[in-house]
Amino acid sequence: MAEDLVLDTAIRDWVLIPLSVVMVLIGILRYFVSKLMRSSNQVPDPKMVKEGQVIIRARNLRAAANYIPAKSFRARRVYFSNEENGLLYVPKGQAQNAQAQMFSDPNMAMDMMKKNLSMIIPQTLTFAWVNFFFSGFVAAKIPFPLTQRFRSMLQNGIDLSTVDVSYVSSRSWYFLNLFGLRGLFSLILGEENATDDTQRMMQMSGFGFDPTKSLGAEKDSLDIFQHEWALPKFEQRAEAVLKKLVS
Amino acid sequence: MASHDESSVSRKKSSDSVDEISTFNAENMQNNAKIISYSRTFMSIIGGVIAGILGFTGLTGFIFYFLVMAIMSVGLAAKAGFSAHPYFDSWNQILLDGFLGGLLSFVLFWTFAYDMVHIF
Repeated sequence: MAEDLVLDTAIRDWVLIPLSVVMVLIGILRYFVSKLMRSSNQVPDPKMVKEGQVIIRARNLRAAANYIPAKSFRARRVYFSNEENGLLYVPKGQAQNAQAQMFSDPNMAMDMMKKNLSMIIPQTLTFAWVNFFFSGFVAAKIPFPLTQRFRSMLQNGIDLSTVDVSYVSSRSWYFLNLFGLRGLFSLILGEENATDDTQRMMQMSGFGFDPTKSLGAEKDSLDIFQHEWALPKFEQRAEAVLKKLVS
Repeated sequence: MASHDESSVSRKKSSDSVDEISTFNAENMQNNAKIISYSRTFMSIIGGVIAGILGFTGLTGFIFYFLVMAIMSVGLAAKAGFSAHPYFDSWNQILLDGFLGGLLSFVLFWTFAYDMVHIF
């Protein structure tokens, strides 16, 4: 019964294809706009940069600790984490309030807002556009059956309960595009686009990010690190590899 | 024969180096993972278009997706020389990474191609 629903080819030519193309183009546009808006002239706080570099160095030491002898490792560890003038040691009371720091730097908040806007505005506009022009009719049919539960999801904007659920309204086709095109964007725009969202999330969560805290954490993990020199075992390893090559 | 020998050697090596710290380059590893997710996305999109053009409906399409992904896994494993450990943390990374992430793209392109060819 539902199968004899015939869709006009004009729907394909004027709704389905334009909608998908517009979604792709808007995604690309958003990528370049956000790239342009990324403020490049901000001068980072030297203290912050310094702390970040120290953390990176400590992390590198931890990652490569097994390639140096125990004595060298201990010397380096002391350099980083001793209680008097170690690089990772933060004196009490010197830790500044992260909240205050955030307010002292309006640039950061501004940047964040720009990024969010570049995300939200195109989506709202496209949604409004779809709603205005293409609401109220079936635009596509998904090739697999679904239960009634999905009706509100797929037939958003159609108030008919007799239409088969696999018919999709244009508004829902928009949502399907919104989520499904993410993979395509990561292909055509490179990995940055895909990671952008997650990075943004990271930044959001780390908004009140406190560098002294991460210094302390790095110091702790360096302190409890178990050092084991890897090189003595490497002869055996090399032997195995060479044997494999020869045989 | 040769493969037997090799596997025994590698097993011995891995048992030797059980207590040993794994030595790897994080950047290269990330690059490998990225390549895998790229190729999976690509295959899911292409697979979706193929499924749509061939007119698969219902379960057949999903089976086709799993088939494509299985072929992809085999291909990746072959590319890695059937030994995951020189390149990846574990086999899961080759076989399962990006499996569900590609599904949405697959469904989208499947629907698109199917509608283009068969509905209108």
